[in-house]
Amino acid sequence: MLGKLGLSAIPWSQPIPLITSLAVMLILLGVLVLITVKGWWPYLWREWITSVDHKRIGVMYCLLGVVMLIRGFADAIMMRSQQALAIGGPGYLPPEHYDQVFSAHGTIMILFGAMPLVLGLMNFVVPLQLGVRDVAFPTFNSVGFWLTASAALLVNVSLFVGEFARTGWLPYPPLSETAYSPGVGVDYYLWAVQISGIGTLITGINIVTTVLKMRCHGMSYLRMPVFCWTALASCLLIVATFPILTATLAMLTLDRYVGWHYFTNTAGGNPMMFVNLVWAWGHPEVYILVLPAFGVFSEIFPTFSGKPLFGYRSMVVATLFICIVSMTVWLHHFFTMGAGAAVNTFFGISSSIIAVGTGVKIYNWIFTMYGGRVRFEVPMLWSMGFIFTFIIGGLTGVLLAVPPADFLTHNSMFLVAHFHNVIIGAVVFAIFAALEYWFPKAFGFRLDGRWGTAAFWFAFVGFWVTFAPLYILGLAGMTRRLQHINFPEWAPWLYVSAAGVVILILGVISQVLELVLSIRRRDQLRDTTGDPWDGRSLEWSTPSPPPFFNFAVMPNVEGEEAYWGIKLRAIETQQLSPEPNYQPIEMPLDSPVGFYTAFFSFVFGFAMIWYIWWLAIVALVAAFAGFVVFAWRDEHEFEVSVDEVARADRARREAREAILARLARQEAAP
Amino acid sequence: MSNLESDPARFTATLDDREDHAPGDEPQEAAGHWVLNANIGLGFSVVLTVAAFALVIWPIVYGPAVAVALVVLAIAQMGVHLVFFLHITTGPDNTNNVLALAFGILVVFLMVVGSIWIMDHLSHNMMPMDQTMQMQR
Repeated sequence: MLGKLGLSAIPWSQPIPLITSLAVMLILLGVLVLITVKGWWPYLWREWITSVDHKRIGVMYCLLGVVMLIRGFADAIMMRSQQALAIGGPGYLPPEHYDQVFSAHGTIMILFGAMPLVLGLMNFVVPLQLGVRDVAFPTFNSVGFWLTASAALLVNVSLFVGEFARTGWLPYPPLSETAYSPGVGVDYYLWAVQISGIGTLITGINIVTTVLKMRCHGMSYLRMPVFCWTALASCLLIVATFPILTATLAMLTLDRYVGWHYFTNTAGGNPMMFVNLVWAWGHPEVYILVLPAFGVFSEIFPTFSGKPLFGYRSMVVATLFICIVSMTVWLHHFFTMGAGAAVNTFFGISSSIIAVGTGVKIYNWIFTMYGGRVRFEVPMLWSMGFIFTFIIGGLTGVLLAVPPADFLTHNSMFLVAHFHNVIIGAVVFAIFAALEYWFPKAFGFRLDGRWGTAAFWFAFVGFWVTFAPLYILGLAGMTRRLQHINFPEWAPWLYVSAAGVVILILGVISQVLELVLSIRRRDQLRDTTGDPWDGRSLEWSTPSPPPFFNFAVMPNVEGEEAYWGIKLRAIETQQLSPEPNYQPIEMPLDSPVGFYTAFFSFVFGFAMIWYIWWLAIVALVAAFAGFVVFAWRDEHEFEVSVDEVARADRARREAREAILARLARQEAAP
Repeated sequence: MSNLESDPARFTATLDDREDHAPGDEPQEAAGHWVLNANIGLGFSVVLTVAAFALVIWPIVYGPAVAVALVVLAIAQMGVHLVFFLHITTGPDNTNNVLALAFGILVVFLMVVGSIWIMDHLSHNMMPMDQTMQMQR
């Protein structure tokens, strides 16, 4: 009846996961009680859970990502403290638990922390920058988000019910085969990643279609903001490579569930095929994360330098160059696994060449700042910190791309330091820059920059104190994923690294404080203009927060930097463009189908993990039924009346006129 | 989708004034033409399929060449599907579809050829298995 599930699945003898999950459940229960007592359920259901508004879905994606970043950071704290405490001793985490911690850390940070944040930013920003009212498939979008959220829930459930994989974030066979991982850990990994992978693919298809098919008047490809270009390139990679991941994990699932032999050591299987295929997805995945990060910086540098982006076209070419070349480098993750000189040379050279595209971008950003009037707001701090950090990370990457050098550093702490250097230095810095930058657009008030500045400096210094020692340890020969350390010589560097984590914790606290204090002071921080940073692209032409239909009338773009041109003209002529002839707008109806499908996908995943076959069948049928009912619905749009459109737009015009008047007064005063 | 319907003027003006179709996005008046097209495609693909079976069943061509002939027929079949069912043309309204097709072919090419090459090279730098066994003794 309940398959493998029983009371023994709960880790009674392990206090750390037990107490953590009890605490999390208590907090969750508290939140649910609070929502019920305050009567917020109808609001949440109507405005958020069933919403198909790309802005709401983007915000929910980011919220999910931030929560999971904190979860992944908790794992990181445990890893660094374990290695500092386990020098010549056992430490406090037994090996089987430590293995789960580093596996969960990698899986969560990449697939459930960084990915939702990046997808959320693309969801929120791309339609606004393109001057359209929603993504191409709004309800599909909601399905994608909720699938990712239910997969994240599945990963967290593994903390309390059963265990997580002990195989690393990519479950290499034969270790991940049933013979060596008989527990449910790998199954949790497989089903969670499969479900979230489908969600990601859905969002990828959505953004590609939106960018290719739905731009406003005059928004030709070469007038799109660079963030839209990078979102397009990143989603092309999602569409091209996530099916590889799905297929590869499906093969491993068949090995585990029905005893087939794709990747086993025996009966003609070949574990190396898994390594090959998973990195054919895994390397483009890195660029799926980092390309939108480059896009964020390409928005922030021009805005806070008061200059157009230097070399717009070279930026576009570099983006597409990286998009293509990123699919020809995957072997550099396993240079040491037997390939001959020809193969290693090809992939080594292509890995080095990709740095050319990135180098072009770095110079463009630097030249954007050159001669500009740079404002050191928080997003700009993150961006400048990125340039410094990312250059070092890129240089160590080029070093690792040289096969002979890689033979010395493969799977060492040097590698660990390198990929944290690029992922934190580029992706995480970009995410925090972007959250600070677009927060007023999403919520209508700015974040208080003082704690944000503190958060940046703690993160920047903390990052280097944590990871610089790992470079040194790697060169000294320390391999990754060590549960205990037998060389007392390494102790000083491990202590320094652990101290760095303390600085990073201060950074996280500052970031949370910034958010909490800004929410409390939101009335003083209110953004009444809709354009708090003196922005250059179309999202800043809407009020903050934008109405659910984004634009009362579709913008007409007449050049690069769409909004900058409109703004300059308004300032020159001292008036806005004449009031347009408002028309009613058709908008998609909200739908619970995303939430419904994802709920049953969660049940399906859970049932498959625990071999509860009847429940899996029921859940699968129920999820499919939701899709059938949705496909046969009669009404899928509603009309927004002319009055409502006009009211929203007149309020916006009033705010803009106030800015014009203020600028005129400033001009008049000497 | 709602956006496309609410503002048709914008839709036509999007891609530098070149109308751009998605597969299946056919104009209504061309329905008759569409059916004819699909029937021609059906004819071609039936002929190609029958030919493939015939080649294997009866000794029509020189034995060792059968595999090559099957590959040729399979590629032709793909072409028929692309042209007659997915309506990929070289016209300006099809730029996105042709680019998507090219991108897809490139990705599949990179993955398949890359994987074959890599897997073929797997034991290149490794000691032969019997020597490893001897060392363990």
